[in-house]
Amino acid sequence: MGQGPGQAGPADTRERCRPVKPPVFEYMAPRTVEETVRVLGAAETAGGAVPLAGGQSLMPLLNRRRVRPSLLVDLNRVADLDTLIVGERTVRIGALTRLRTLEAHGPLRTALPVLHDTVRLVAHPQVRSRATLGGSLCHADPAAELPTLALALGARLRLASAGGARTETADEFFAAGGTSRLPGELLTEVEFPVPEGFRFHFEEIPRHAHGGFPLVGVCVGVRRDAAGTVTHARIAAAGAADHPLRLTEAERALTGRQLGAPDGVARDVLDAATAQASPPSDLHGSGAFRTALLRTALRRAVTTLNGQETA
Amino acid sequence: MTTPHTPDDRPGTPDSDRAPGAGPVSDAAGPRLIGRSMPRIHDDRILRGDGRYTDDIEALDAIDAHGGGSLAHAAVLRSPVPHGRLTRFDADTARADSRALLVIGPDEIERHADPLPTVWRMPGQLQDRIQVADRTVRYVGQPVGLVVASSRAAAEDIAELVEISYEPLPAVVGVDAALAPGAPLLHPATADSTGTPGPTGTPGPTGAPEGTGPAHGNQAGEARFGDPRADVERVIAAAPHVTTRELAVQRVSYTSMEPRAVLAEWIPGTAQLSLWSSTQVPHAFRYGLARALRLRMDQIRVSVPDLGGGFGGKTVLHVDETLVCLAAKLLGRRVRWTEDRNEALTASYQGRGQNVTARLALDTDGRFLALDAHIRGDLGAFATQAGSGPFQIAGQSIEGPYRFDRAGATVTAVYTNAVPTGAYRGYGMQEACYVRERLIEEAARELGLEAHELRLRNLVSAAEMPYTTRAMSTYDTGDYAAALRAARQAVAGLPRERTGRVRRGVAAVPSIEATGYGPTALQETIGIEASGWESGRIRVNEDGTVTVYAGAIAMGQGIETTLAQIVADRLGLPLAHIAVRLGDTETTPHSDYSSQASRSVVVCGGALMRAGEQMRARMHALAASYLETSPEDISLDAEQVFHAGKTSRTMTWRDVAHRGWLGWGRPAHDRIMLEETVDFDPPAITYAYAAHAAAVAVDLDTGKITVEGYWAFPDSGVLVNPAIAEGQTVGAVAQGLGIALTEEAAYDPHTAQPLATSLWDYELPAPATVPTVHVTHTETPSTFIPGGFKGLGEGGIMPPPVVLTNAVADAVPEIAPALHRTPLTPYRVWTLVQEAGLEG
Repeated sequence: MGQGPGQAGPADTRERCRPVKPPVFEYMAPRTVEETVRVLGAAETAGGAVPLAGGQSLMPLLNRRRVRPSLLVDLNRVADLDTLIVGERTVRIGALTRLRTLEAHGPLRTALPVLHDTVRLVAHPQVRSRATLGGSLCHADPAAELPTLALALGARLRLASAGGARTETADEFFAAGGTSRLPGELLTEVEFPVPEGFRFHFEEIPRHAHGGFPLVGVCVGVRRDAAGTVTHARIAAAGAADHPLRLTEAERALTGRQLGAPDGVARDVLDAATAQASPPSDLHGSGAFRTALLRTALRRAVTTLNGQETA
Repeated sequence: MTTPHTPDDRPGTPDSDRAPGAGPVSDAAGPRLIGRSMPRIHDDRILRGDGRYTDDIEALDAIDAHGGGSLAHAAVLRSPVPHGRLTRFDADTARADSRALLVIGPDEIERHADPLPTVWRMPGQLQDRIQVADRTVRYVGQPVGLVVASSRAAAEDIAELVEISYEPLPAVVGVDAALAPGAPLLHPATADSTGTPGPTGTPGPTGAPEGTGPAHGNQAGEARFGDPRADVERVIAAAPHVTTRELAVQRVSYTSMEPRAVLAEWIPGTAQLSLWSSTQVPHAFRYGLARALRLRMDQIRVSVPDLGGGFGGKTVLHVDETLVCLAAKLLGRRVRWTEDRNEALTASYQGRGQNVTARLALDTDGRFLALDAHIRGDLGAFATQAGSGPFQIAGQSIEGPYRFDRAGATVTAVYTNAVPTGAYRGYGMQEACYVRERLIEEAARELGLEAHELRLRNLVSAAEMPYTTRAMSTYDTGDYAAALRAARQAVAGLPRERTGRVRRGVAAVPSIEATGYGPTALQETIGIEASGWESGRIRVNEDGTVTVYAGAIAMGQGIETTLAQIVADRLGLPLAHIAVRLGDTETTPHSDYSSQASRSVVVCGGALMRAGEQMRARMHALAASYLETSPEDISLDAEQVFHAGKTSRTMTWRDVAHRGWLGWGRPAHDRIMLEETVDFDPPAITYAYAAHAAAVAVDLDTGKITVEGYWAFPDSGVLVNPAIAEGQTVGAVAQGLGIALTEEAAYDPHTAQPLATSLWDYELPAPATVPTVHVTHTETPSTFIPGGFKGLGEGGIMPPPVVLTNAVADAVPEIAPALHRTPLTPYRVWTLVQEAGLEG
């Protein structure tokens, strides 16, 4: 990295001889967004071009030949993709911003404490020092934390292409498996509304130790009135379906209630979440197991919020 | 002689703590080095990134002026089907690729190579070789060919062009399915044979197993250890109480940080094969390669550079490694292959894989009357060089540290459609410990007794040493009860919460570890065609520095430092005078086992203890000659200066060495060369032991287990470097916690496809999983190993799976009877909680 043509020294020579595993692909490292979307949109490469951000998911997939792009577009030298603006009503974050940057950003932590807390649940510090917000959202693993957080917070995603730019809500972006990003589009910026009067909490149940995607994660946000009754609720779940899942039924069930109901979280809130979930079965647990974990995580998240004062 | 201490505050071991046979070094002025915690010699270099592993070797000298190089890279062609007949191998397109240097399939391999020899066959086992070119594939990942190209990526590209067809055959996963009537047969040619009883001797005082069943079906062989089955059955039938359990220990992957790696070079002009390899056994590699490649032993040199972990996975030559060497020979150039993590998890041999029916008979006082185990071991597709070894050791060591009136184990080795299994740290003893201690815990629960009291009542006592088990193992020294009491004490006051959604429980178990494998007589009796002795060579160089040559391998366990300490201690020199050379068939002593089986300090260290004493005597005699006095009158001070009695006559160690090499001033019959080589054949197995305790929390809603505290009380005889000993124990405990909680090399029971093919699905212990492990060593010296050493590399991995399981049983007694296998993943625990009706 970082060496241009003609600068090949001994280290570079050695590098060329190292065993690398991916299949053959073209490589481009554009410097501007305009250049990037032009490259991505070029007819001969559309569909076969894959953007490389932090590489924490993509590089293993390349080395295992699970992903076979014709063109790899390295975003790491694109200017102005890592801006971070904390405003009164919104927080705008460039897609190439590293998770470590988000984690360490003081004003961001004040404005959106749940973003800070949730980023810290992602992988390990070494991974977070490379991984990017945009990469995580575009990879859109159904069990990953950040897509779920974006759903719960109602994030808006800015997509650029050679033809212009458009904005998608998180609900639209993650509507089904994968994302609504079209070939030739580049996610440039994510805008999070600062949710006035809300308290958010992200609760996850890791497989064993933190570090990978959790078995299940739930992000819950509530706004309560003076009497403590929930007036608005936002709930999304990771690991509960084949895509990051907004739990709208559970939101409705929670609205109009006190969090500290006598029996803990009302059963029908949990039932509403369960009804919308269709978690996968695999080596690490059945769908029934994950459904039970979803209920536990939701109960714990609401209990935690109940222990906090209304905002 | 048992001296408790913790490693960090320990001064040098006083001479009074020395084992018999260590011998006094009365005049050396420096502090004793045996018993001192010292930084490891290589840590500085390794931690700075200056390690030189197999994959680091070459590369610039192989690059020509045009940036190309003579180094070629291999990719292994592997079977994607678990069982089938290879019907077509068409490499025409692949060979036509301009980057292709070599593509070989079964035909070419068969033409140029022979099968690998087996080393340890079990009674009844007919399979006596390992095919390097088999047209029947029996597991996903089996090598069927090799591609060599200018780069690894090109080799992988070309591998995709090779067209290979298979006629699928039905596959079988797991030993019990493989033993069921009508199961698909892996080796039909031998499946119906009446076979012949195994190659071993008779049972009884020798301790050799008795062959009880020839190969048939998918059974590769069978043997009985300890008392004959009928004797044990008689006692069980008459016993007031019998506890029976079906228990299992899962297959696990080695996941050494450095995967297997080979760099092979064949020089046609000299007809020499040079191999750099991440192997624990360079001499055994050379032996196998010579046979497979039809070479003389002295045409092959195997060198081991830095090695990033082994855990037993690098103790046998694999077929893919053999093919890379064959490719180098066919091409006449250097060929490199480093396995990727996917290969490491699917194509490297694995460990464990045992299903066990175990019964414990007790009288009304809780005395152990009889123990019987039927162990079905999962060999996988074929028996590797060591084959059923771990299963046999499980059977042989099933009694552990307890007394039984009668005890025995039947070991059945079974072929299944999975990658073969082999030696894995703990080698059958971890499995035996799990079975035994799970059974005892359950017996106590059934009888309403305290498990701790039940154990104490039946432990072999210090007064009974040496004690010979029913399977003819002789335990030399130790106070097992003291270790267990210490472990129990560590968790005695901790919370045990049996209500609520988060439960807490504790457990403590003892274990033993056979170390210093193995005495030649025992190897011969069992029929293992591998030598167990070691030689140690010490050379005092012309400048007074000391080079030590040993058969051990440094793989992160710190053995180079430990051996240097032993030699420095014997010679009375500072550590900086010593350099240790390991792992090169041209220069280091012959060793079939090298570093495995908890033997490096015991056998290599034992040899070097004696070689050191001989060298010390020679240097003192030379000094006495030069200083015109008697050797008894010579002393060596802390500045490496010899003094003649109380006179002012002195000569430096360096000058004595220099004159020694010149050959001056010596009696005519004395040897000149300042080298001493001593071989050491351990007279018997020396048994280390330990007790471990753990405190756990169990979340009933998620099934997650949190290890809230862990304590280990090992005794491995005299410790050379207590800090290294502690590190070995902590690392082994961490690995044991992986077996206990997360690691499983799982196969789909229907498709026989491996499921844990990346480190995402094969979950290793992480810092968050592993608590602080509190280690308190005691030192009960071995009575027959020079220095009083015992081994310790494997001991730490044995108790964790069962101590964790028993602590979970303590916390959630409702699921205790169903805790019959590891790992205790959240899903498994949650399922048991549901089945017990404990859902929230």
